[in-house]
Amino acid sequence: MEALLLVLLLAALISINVPIAVSIAAVALFGVWLDKGVFGFYDAALKVFDAATNFPLIAIPLFILAGALMNTGGISRRLIDFTSALIGFIRGGLAMVNVGVSLFFAEISGSAVADVAAIGSVIIPEMKRKKYRPTFAAAVTSSSASLAIIIPPSIPMIVYGALSDTSIVQLFVAGIVPGLLGGFLMLCLCYWFAVRYDLPREEAFSLPRLGKAFMDAAPALLLPIIILGGIFGGIVTATEGAGLAVIAALVIGGFWYREIKLREFHEALLEGVTQTAAVMLLVATSGVLGLYLTEIEIPQRFAQWIISVSDNRIVVLMMLNVMLLVLGMVLHGAAAIILIVPIVLPLVRELQIDPVQFGIILTLNIAIGQQTPPVASVLATACSISRTDIWATTRTNIPFIILLFALLLVVTYIPIVPMGLVEWIYR
Amino acid sequence: MRALARLLKRLLEVITIGLLMTLACVVISAVVARKGFNSSFVWYDEVASVLLAWITFYGAAYAALRRRHLGFEGLIIACPPPVRLTLFIISEVVVYAVFVVFAYAGWFILQVLGSETLVSLRWVPLWFTQSVVPVGAALFIVAQILSTPDTVRRLMAGRSAEDEEIAEEIAKAEAQKERR
Repeated sequence: MEALLLVLLLAALISINVPIAVSIAAVALFGVWLDKGVFGFYDAALKVFDAATNFPLIAIPLFILAGALMNTGGISRRLIDFTSALIGFIRGGLAMVNVGVSLFFAEISGSAVADVAAIGSVIIPEMKRKKYRPTFAAAVTSSSASLAIIIPPSIPMIVYGALSDTSIVQLFVAGIVPGLLGGFLMLCLCYWFAVRYDLPREEAFSLPRLGKAFMDAAPALLLPIIILGGIFGGIVTATEGAGLAVIAALVIGGFWYREIKLREFHEALLEGVTQTAAVMLLVATSGVLGLYLTEIEIPQRFAQWIISVSDNRIVVLMMLNVMLLVLGMVLHGAAAIILIVPIVLPLVRELQIDPVQFGIILTLNIAIGQQTPPVASVLATACSISRTDIWATTRTNIPFIILLFALLLVVTYIPIVPMGLVEWIYR
Repeated sequence: MRALARLLKRLLEVITIGLLMTLACVVISAVVARKGFNSSFVWYDEVASVLLAWITFYGAAYAALRRRHLGFEGLIIACPPPVRLTLFIISEVVVYAVFVVFAYAGWFILQVLGSETLVSLRWVPLWFTQSVVPVGAALFIVAQILSTPDTVRRLMAGRSAEDEEIAEEIAKAEAQKERR
């Protein structure tokens, strides 16, 4: 009864536009006050600080800093040129370049909106000029940017890893195969659209052009190799890898390309700080809520309730997927993860679902949620750039959403797809 | 009020960017020390974690000033203006209440901590590291007050914070594209 009241209070506060982090805090403070009176507030003040000192989350501001350096240091632009020289000659090539670039860059700065704005404002006008339908341009940008959530380095994965005590490195590795598979399927879908609507090719394939673009992009291409190689090779931890990313981006952008523009860098940093703080305040206040939920045993009761409905893993996973999809539709990605993880984790453990696999399932659900109005900031940004209606774009986006959904089913029910590499390297 | 808001914004920008840069330097020097010289700083984990918490609370006040905390405006934007204003006032009261409690309880805790210090750095008192909770909460309240007039104007015009963020980011990206 108490739990139901709290859920209703939380939903009411969020719906009248109290920031989600503050809504969580309000419910938690009310709960601890009922429980322990004013002493509960002192526990809450200690816990809110303690929850914000979660060490693995340090990787978030650092990856954001590295992303800001890459975007303002000419690294991103060279990678776009290289991708264009590599696959631009195929029919519908510009759409494919869009997929390739979005997979790599979206989610890099921690602000999905800023990344989609940066990529979309370059590629979407170009696609429109080449007679791609605007709704298609927006749909490709939006759905490939959302898929990027499962390709490392991914901030939602860092949040999940830190909150669930799961290895962030293993989560990164588990995202690779589903991410590449999803990317490949999106390229195929673009090709299908291209043939059907007779979309143009870019310039004809030219080996010298590819060679030149490759030479120009070579230092930039080294960056993911150094960072991800270091992390996956076990040489550095995810946090140290994030630190390494900052140095590498600084050296390549600042000393090799000599293009870092201080004003843009400053703006990107402020955006990064805002994003970090928005996510971290959620983490901090949900720590206080966690304190209270554990005391009244909500996660355990939730697990018992679900298991009383069914203890079949296939059925439970389907129930979790439906719940996560609905949550992803009405909440922003990070908020959905932070709210749901402490509640469902005991259930996940009880059913012996690998927490790494569950992390990929969770983030993919969030990716799909970003494609579905009402709360779909990535889609809204892409639509705003292409000047298309969000619902008309959603109609064009349906095949891409189906693709993401199919990928979700694969990741959920064929564990070897996300877990194969993890088992092979680490277990 | 605008001038005060600008002043606070500038101050929080300096603090948060300073903290972020310090954190980056701490992590990078720890990596260099561990990989290059095979030695580690005993204070690394503790100091880096405290820096993260400081970025969280000072950054939260900064995000409040820009009204950029994640939320759901869809419903109140859809309401008629008088209802919208009423719901806005209720939501503001909830925010003030939460941060008044954090400011008070955080300040109370500081006195209890007495002479306790960080484990790895004996000369850094815990009241100093934990001070970010009451200070951050107080700054959050000030930021919320200073950003109220603009927010009321925006809400009454029926524009959501997300619309504004998207417009701002696209304008920024367009400007960057033109400079190249």
